[in-house]
Amino acid sequence: MWKITYRVHRQKGHEAPHYDTFQVEVDPEEYVLDGVEKIWAFEDRSLTFRHACHHSTCGACGMRVNGVEKLTCITKIKDVTQDGGTLTVEPLRNFPIVSDLVVDLGPLYRKMEAVQAPKVHPLSMAPWEGEDIRPPKEVPAPPEGGEYIRLPDCLECGICISACPVAASDPDYLGPAPLAAIQIQGLDGHPELLALADSQEGVWRCHSAFECSAVCPSNVDPGWRIMDLRKQVATQRLKTIIG
Amino acid sequence: MSKPHAIVIGAGFTGTAIAHDLALRGFDVTVVERGPIANGTSGRTHGLLHSGGRYAVKDQESAIECIEENIILRKIVPDVIEPNGGLFIAVTEDDLAYKETFIQGCEACGIPVDEITPQEALRLEPNLNPKLLAALIVPDGTFDPLRLALSFAASAKKNGAVFHLFTDVVDMLLDGSGNVTGVKVWDRTNGERYDIHSDIVVNATGAWVGQITKMAHAHVPIKPTPGIMVAYDRRLVNRAINRLNRPSDGDIVLPQRRLAVVGTTSFSIDDVDYVPIDRQQVELMLQRGAELIPAIRQARERGVYMATRPLIGASGPGRSISRTFKAYDHKDLDNVDGLVTITGGKATTCRAMAEKTVDIVCQKLGLNIPCTTAEVPLTSYRAFYA
Amino acid sequence: MKADKHNSKGFWDWFNPAGRDVGGWAFILNRISALGLAFYLYLHLFVLGKLAQGPEVFDQFIAAAKSPLYIAGELLVIAAALYHGLNGVRLVLNSFNIGVPRQKQMFYTALALTILGTLVFATRMFAG
Repeated sequence: MWKITYRVHRQKGHEAPHYDTFQVEVDPEEYVLDGVEKIWAFEDRSLTFRHACHHSTCGACGMRVNGVEKLTCITKIKDVTQDGGTLTVEPLRNFPIVSDLVVDLGPLYRKMEAVQAPKVHPLSMAPWEGEDIRPPKEVPAPPEGGEYIRLPDCLECGICISACPVAASDPDYLGPAPLAAIQIQGLDGHPELLALADSQEGVWRCHSAFECSAVCPSNVDPGWRIMDLRKQVATQRLKTIIG
Repeated sequence: MSKPHAIVIGAGFTGTAIAHDLALRGFDVTVVERGPIANGTSGRTHGLLHSGGRYAVKDQESAIECIEENIILRKIVPDVIEPNGGLFIAVTEDDLAYKETFIQGCEACGIPVDEITPQEALRLEPNLNPKLLAALIVPDGTFDPLRLALSFAASAKKNGAVFHLFTDVVDMLLDGSGNVTGVKVWDRTNGERYDIHSDIVVNATGAWVGQITKMAHAHVPIKPTPGIMVAYDRRLVNRAINRLNRPSDGDIVLPQRRLAVVGTTSFSIDDVDYVPIDRQQVELMLQRGAELIPAIRQARERGVYMATRPLIGASGPGRSISRTFKAYDHKDLDNVDGLVTITGGKATTCRAMAEKTVDIVCQKLGLNIPCTTAEVPLTSYRAFYA
Repeated sequence: MKADKHNSKGFWDWFNPAGRDVGGWAFILNRISALGLAFYLYLHLFVLGKLAQGPEVFDQFIAAAKSPLYIAGELLVIAAALYHGLNGVRLVLNSFNIGVPRQKQMFYTALALTILGTLVFATRMFAG
């Protein structure tokens, strides 16, 4: 077991933010979220934090660990500190803070709804396995007919928005996850998506810091997708000019 | 008479489904939850939309509930479900010997079951253990835990339910005769404490029901029974893969987004608020999971978590206790009026649990309003935050 | 769950290096070089304005312009212009979805060329 210090961002109601420290005994194989839950269970019941699935399918537990956006349920303690070390845990940036480590993801959810981000989609639409890797290999169709359906890679966790420097200064910017959701659907036959992507708060607002792709815990690679969407938008506009 | 007011404690599957049902039946609904939506057992469920096959031999009451609700959930909340079916596979002679019993059980419960050849099974799921001896297809599915609860919550909210998240129930409000008239709460987002009065309080706190009933000097027979789940970083299958045998440790592998999740175990605990992870059980999941899907050994561990089932009944080992649910009117149980407790059950049956509970609530208040949750499609989970 | 405290410092967060990856540093340098060049433009116009004030002022300025401090300043302008231009090429290519998976290497290349170019100018200017 390791003895480490959690330095936790605290904020209640309209009070000014501050940091509380907690000495916690942890197994280095445990995840950062386990330690936060332990603090709540044994040290301070007033602590608030978001979590649900504890295995990176729900996207609730996004926080900043030592300044970097992480899904805390899959971030092993041994990967971000050492025995006797300190872990700073803060809420995501660029969202309104509800309290302590809890932010209001409402703005992101509203944007995901606006771009009609698929909630489930056919397996064949599944994103690539990361940079430069093609879609998953062909799987036979179900014998019952139809297609396999799966949940998308994007967890709607808000981590990409938190890391985006443009989202910091422009809360209306659609942002990485919603733009990636447009790219996955494609612009053919979606004039409303083209209008959103080509708007003032769309693809052209991005300033290519690629921080979204650096922190995305689910291989969505939004940076790449925004760049691809730019190309798609330009192609669509060219088509209308040429006729 | 003005609308009756109900307080629901707990915003897991059951609590959110009850809030949705109550709101549809015209109640004023206030949900009090000490964390975010689905932070307890619900969020940490395996994510298996049961066909009922797992319980078709020993626990047919649950099996029938599962298949009925499986069909309803696919209809009312398709947005959160991977409806790809499931396989029960035999990899040992002992498994194979169980096959006929299993098929008979499924047929008795009305669960469609189809046998396919091992070759066909391997064609459908190339990562299955190539030594498999038999394979049966059942209508299992998988669901996203948080989004299932959020969909019920969003639908409740649309119909006027009010959610107080990060708000602990610290005590019950009792009248002179010890009947429940509301709750005392502590809002941890701002530190405020206040009372909420109601006509009825529904305790939907799953494995934590005992903490609430104690405040009302009431009780329920409940056995918190945790199990481990281990997520690996590769989507190795598209269907739910079950071991064709009696329920045991690590006998289910599920796909979820880009993951494969192996579960689970069953043991007893005292403190339900924090269940530490037992690394020996992690190793066991790898071993048992690899008997079904050998490629799990090439994948990397991505997450490990414990979920605590709220099993009903105080005796017997966890595996032998029925997975069915029960709603208790504490007027009958402890002569405490104004409080109903619901517990037990499965994620798959949460809507039926809500229906039964709200039926009891209506009956207590002398109302006769039919349940419509089996027909009404749920609102987008994203609407909860809007 | 109503919240109004937006957790951001607005445009100051552009320059916040906490938790930034390579792409973030490229962005920060791009912003700083842009602001530097914009500031230089105004400085340049201001100095040009001085030149119109007569030969004495002009001579004074030329003398000052030969000081090492002034040359260092000019080098900074050259470095900023080189970086901003080369990184601009990287971003234009990326915007046509060319080389996005290799955006980090492209940044390192832009940075290396910037340093090289600045060194070439430095040797010439300090020698001359």
